[in-house]
Amino acid sequence: MAVSAKPLSHPQVEMHHDPRQYLMLDPRPRGEMNEMVMDSMLSISWKFWVAAGILGIIVLVCLFGAWGYMIFEGLGVAGTNRPAYWGIFLVNTVFWIGISHAGTFVSALLRVFKAEFRRPFTRAAELMTTFGLVQAGLSIFMHMGRVWLSYWMFPYPNQRGLWPNFHSPLMWDFLAINTYLLASTMYLFLPLIPDVAMARDRSTGWRKNLYRILSLGFRGTEGEWTHLRHAMNIFAFAILPVMFSVHTIVSWDFAVATRPGWSSTIFGPYFVIGALHSGIAAVAMVLIVIRAIMKNMKYFIRPEHFDALGKLMLIVSMAWAYFFFNDYMVQWYGGDKWTDQLLHFHEAGLLGWMWLGMLILNIAIPWLTLWNKKIRSNPWILFIVGLLINVGMWFERYIIIPISLTVNRMPFTWREYVPGIEVLLTIGTFAFFILLYMMATKLIPIVPVWEVQEGQMAHSLRRFGRETVISVSELE
Amino acid sequence: MSKHKIPEYNTSWSEEEQGRWGMVIDQDLCTGCQACVVACAMENNISFVGEEDVVYGRAMHWIRVERFWEGEYPEVKATDFQPVMCQQCGSAPCEPVCPVFASVHSQSEELNLQVYNRCVGTRYCANNCPYQVRVFNWRDWERPEPLNNQLNPTVTVRQRGVMEKCTFCVQRIHEAEDSAQSEGRELVDGEVQPACVQACPADAIVFGRIDDPESEVSKLTKGGRGVQLLEDLGTQPRVTYLKGG
Amino acid sequence: MTDKISRRDFLKMAGVGAATTAVLTGCGPAARYVEREPYTTMPEYTYSGRSTYYATACRECAAGCGLVARTMQGRALKVEGNRNNPVNLGKTCPRGQATLHGLYNPDRVHGPVSQKKRGSRDFKSLEWEAAIDMIVDTLKKTDPGEIAFLMGLAPDHLFDLVSDLAAAIGAPAPLRFGALAMFEARGTLSQAAKNLFGELALPFFDIANTEVTLSFGANFLETWLSPVSYTRGYSKMRKGNTNGGRGYLVQFEARMSQTAAAADEWIPARPGTEGLVAQALGKLVAEQRGDIIPHAFDVDVAKAAETSGVAEETLRNLAGLVAVAGRTVAIPGGAALGQSNGLETAEAILTLNIYLGNTGQPGGVYLSPVAPLSEKDHNPASVFGIAALVERMESGKIKTLFVHGINPVFEFPKSLGFEQALTGVPQVISFATFPDETAVLADYLLPDHHGLESWGYQRVVTGTGNAAISGAQPVVVPYYDTRSTVDILLAAAEKMGGKVASVLSFADEVEFIQSKLADLVEESDGFFSAPEVNTFLASFQQFGGWWKTTDSLGVPENDDALTRTLKIPAAEFEGKGEFHFLPFVSPILGEAGANKPWLQEVPDPTTTVTWNTWVEINPVTARELDIKDDDIVRIVTESGSIEAAVYLYPAIRPDTVAVPFGQGHTAYGRYAQGRGANPADVLGLNFNAAGDLSYAAMKVRVEKTGKKHTLARLESRMGVYGLDEEY
Repeated sequence: MAVSAKPLSHPQVEMHHDPRQYLMLDPRPRGEMNEMVMDSMLSISWKFWVAAGILGIIVLVCLFGAWGYMIFEGLGVAGTNRPAYWGIFLVNTVFWIGISHAGTFVSALLRVFKAEFRRPFTRAAELMTTFGLVQAGLSIFMHMGRVWLSYWMFPYPNQRGLWPNFHSPLMWDFLAINTYLLASTMYLFLPLIPDVAMARDRSTGWRKNLYRILSLGFRGTEGEWTHLRHAMNIFAFAILPVMFSVHTIVSWDFAVATRPGWSSTIFGPYFVIGALHSGIAAVAMVLIVIRAIMKNMKYFIRPEHFDALGKLMLIVSMAWAYFFFNDYMVQWYGGDKWTDQLLHFHEAGLLGWMWLGMLILNIAIPWLTLWNKKIRSNPWILFIVGLLINVGMWFERYIIIPISLTVNRMPFTWREYVPGIEVLLTIGTFAFFILLYMMATKLIPIVPVWEVQEGQMAHSLRRFGRETVISVSELE
Repeated sequence: MSKHKIPEYNTSWSEEEQGRWGMVIDQDLCTGCQACVVACAMENNISFVGEEDVVYGRAMHWIRVERFWEGEYPEVKATDFQPVMCQQCGSAPCEPVCPVFASVHSQSEELNLQVYNRCVGTRYCANNCPYQVRVFNWRDWERPEPLNNQLNPTVTVRQRGVMEKCTFCVQRIHEAEDSAQSEGRELVDGEVQPACVQACPADAIVFGRIDDPESEVSKLTKGGRGVQLLEDLGTQPRVTYLKGG
Repeated sequence: MTDKISRRDFLKMAGVGAATTAVLTGCGPAARYVEREPYTTMPEYTYSGRSTYYATACRECAAGCGLVARTMQGRALKVEGNRNNPVNLGKTCPRGQATLHGLYNPDRVHGPVSQKKRGSRDFKSLEWEAAIDMIVDTLKKTDPGEIAFLMGLAPDHLFDLVSDLAAAIGAPAPLRFGALAMFEARGTLSQAAKNLFGELALPFFDIANTEVTLSFGANFLETWLSPVSYTRGYSKMRKGNTNGGRGYLVQFEARMSQTAAAADEWIPARPGTEGLVAQALGKLVAEQRGDIIPHAFDVDVAKAAETSGVAEETLRNLAGLVAVAGRTVAIPGGAALGQSNGLETAEAILTLNIYLGNTGQPGGVYLSPVAPLSEKDHNPASVFGIAALVERMESGKIKTLFVHGINPVFEFPKSLGFEQALTGVPQVISFATFPDETAVLADYLLPDHHGLESWGYQRVVTGTGNAAISGAQPVVVPYYDTRSTVDILLAAAEKMGGKVASVLSFADEVEFIQSKLADLVEESDGFFSAPEVNTFLASFQQFGGWWKTTDSLGVPENDDALTRTLKIPAAEFEGKGEFHFLPFVSPILGEAGANKPWLQEVPDPTTTVTWNTWVEINPVTARELDIKDDDIVRIVTESGSIEAAVYLYPAIRPDTVAVPFGQGHTAYGRYAQGRGANPADVLGLNFNAAGDLSYAAMKVRVEKTGKKHTLARLESRMGVYGLDEEY
């Protein structure tokens, strides 16, 4: 099935406005655009270094310092207990994997379906995938009781005679996340090559050396482009099932367990949608920040993109609401004594406000705001909505993990979970994510400039009689 | 390890047939005195954790005595005391979820064992245990000198970050099996007694082989008063509780 | 395929091969059964040597249970019950199991010390020879009448030695006491037995063979007299071994104890009315059986029901049960006797037994056999007797006080004034193994061995039908530079010379024990016999004691109890508070378990609280007072006040508050010190007719403090009391 490139919007309605509000119809000369991107990458103000310094200190203290202390003292400094053996570390893992989803979704899915609005921000989204996965991975290691032995989970022949247990969902998880990390890094790297090559040609000193290595000698010959397109196509299609499977597999950590509230067959798609919910919101947030802070970004990232992302967020929110309702319904209808108790605990327990908050933040707020084009095109409103959705989705994971673990089939053991050092480490992972992202924006072109140029070349305005129509040609 | 004892795995076995060691707890006899709890701690080098960590749900008891309430004063009644330890499931939910095979089914005793030095502390097994009998070493619990003199050399001392649980005192099973073998005889019913069974002043806990129809534990299991905890989950627990009197 | 394999093909094949291996390993049922051995073989599968087992006697309480200690390479690893010992027949209670945490307690006294200022804990080390010289000096210089020995209920051999020593130097006989004896109301029970049966002995209740057991406050599954022995009896009674049916247990007490929790019926009679209930029951049973109503039960049932707060219906049903039951036994004990009318209550309950015709019958009441070597009176003093000692101390009539096996500063009611009286004693010598409250107030602390490092014997006062004496021997060499108190006193006696040296001319503790045991060599019905004392001692050690093979229970006899009038005076309560106060011994800690970390960690059977003291209040009462779980309240009496966190206990009378005894130490090592509160601090000084403290005859006030302390309970509050409960 051939998917044809779609025009940006319905031409008849939109043509009253200036077509140059659309990036694809607002072309600039290649050289100028390249310079804009280089400029935004290379201009590093003192504010950047201050922010990086502060984040670096937070990362050192909250992440590595606190983690080291926890490794030395044991997990007692964290909040987990019997029966809530899993706590915020795994909440963060699921959360960050969710964040990482949007990158691939935006970039690969929209690429596969040739949604043109994706062009300027695929890289920003893919970077989120990679760095989000780094945080997810770190959180898993934080969670482990004897992290210094974590290499025992690697399937390689060894003198200990150990072999990992492929029956364990954690092994599936381990493999899925590793696969996803590798694939998404590759997928980040491939479209980067022409841009790095562009940067190589425009820089000197260590950067030149770095870009020379990264660009793998890309010169832009027809053969190279063909190979690149080929590889990207393969990856874009191949990574989509990986992306869907990763979060499905993460959900199986819970769904295959014998716990009330966990063993739910809908968990796979429910988790995937949840991941997209938080992930797309996070992409929007990141774009808004980049646009506000980095030079020349207002040209590349425009209200049309927020409008499109806002629509996506609204749709995903609706889908999430459906899956939530489905999950709740089935569990409630099942009538299992312990599940009933658990659902009651969710709603009316000590952290009942969190359950309610989750519904408000994930459903009510997006539905009330994002239906309106004016609201969703406003970057800062969208930023706040995105932030709230992310808080709501974090709540959702918190409800699924430590709160659900509080209630089990042996009521004698029910006990609440109160976070301990996890709070510091959570702050640490967020700081680490931002720090990595900041550094990356100054090392690689954050806008895939060749993709934008390609898009602009493909788009043109044509007149048919009195009608002006946007036409898109297939380049690939 | 007594390799000669290990039967070849036979795929035609059903889970029920493999059960060898089992326990019966007569709740009508249990007085809730906690002697089993202390005996277990003394035998198995279980750490004490102190008030703050008990408040927080980190007590290391391998066996706990549960009691609930029924009715309102003055018709209030404490339910029968119910000691809960690892049920040594025939189909244990904790086993398949461990990524490093630290929670394993030992084929020589048909017990569910935790290999402490293989555990990396993912705690999945504990989440998946419907009986909530696994306990985790949240810290290297303090055991000041000279309390360490009391440590049982036949039981592993566990490090922080390691999951642990009741083993039916597997060290005692081994010792009894090996001494019976060296004397060239079969094990006698009642010869192996885990620490809780040995201490129980009310004789409420009986231990033995459930694959031997003549053993006391087999007879009690089939005596009509027996129920198993969360039977509907299909975990095939090896511990049977006797209700009523 | 060509012969040449390209690099690409090789990689492909390697990849496919690795993937297949990985998948195949994970599949198939065999994966679960593959022999997987860790890098290091676990100790559970290896042998590091053979264990050595020694029989000895438990010293955690005075019941005299036999223990077998497993040792390896000079370390004691585990204790089990001694299967031969008739008291416990191989079983143990939690306190016995935890005795190793006493042996290897990090806070033991390491050697003899003295301190200049009492309570300063600024201990100076001492040579043992200097310590013995000091004792010789003291014994020589002090007027014998001004020497006092205060001893615990265990061990007996030391008590015997001190008795001999006191007699030889002309000092008053040693007094022995223990908080357990006080809370059991042991003295009241034996006094009641004496009044009715003419013998000052503890009755033995054969619950193993009864159909209905009516227990009035006797918490015999916890700490009462000989808990392991009674628990064995309970087990048999439940199994119905002898008479077929399952025995029925009814417990009368204001608060549901562990025993009541295990009972079939818990009847919260108003404190102080237990005797009345027994009389009413007796009357109803007689009515239902159509007997002539004995004079002793001449009470108005309706009025008794009203006074006791037990519904008449309940009494009638119960009487119906008893009337048709073949064997019923009624047990008086604990808080029921710790009342101003405790002695009369005990008599009424024993009279009920007489009426039921079970005295000297299987499943009934016997008199405990007289333990071997019981020529002298070895019974504990009553609190009245202790009060007399304290008075003499206060008035300066005691110059030297020797303390062993008891911690009076902690165990005595504070109102007795022992701590203040101690200042009137110029010299206090403690033999405590642990730095307890009394030891830190002593001038000299000459630590005795721990029980597992000691020789000795313990008479079995009650708990078995066979007259028995449990033997103790060291299972490990002493860990610290401690010395047996018997050896110290023998050495002192030798140095003193004269009459004392000739009476106590033993080379060491073992020789002394041997000389005592020599009397038993002649006995014919022991379960082992020996031609001479050395062989006897060897067997005594090997088997952990000596006992008769024949039943030596006494048959209580009484002719007139039923016909004489039994008027139980109404219980009197001290204090103006609105709540009855019910202190009870913690079933886990006992009187001296607080320094053992694992006992602290073990949950109380009924509340599951660990590591602290709690106040049990009925939730209804608490709601009226606006008190919530974990609120710290103050319990105020005329004698003082204590503070502890509240446990909303559904099974306690709304007009009663209960507090466990065992915590609230101000010394006694890191695990005990500064933890919880001691209910003995608020007890008044009221005695019942037997001279025992009527410790449960208090009315207290409960005040809120506004503070909170989360009790470390093992149970889940949400899970047990419901998700919607306020917490």
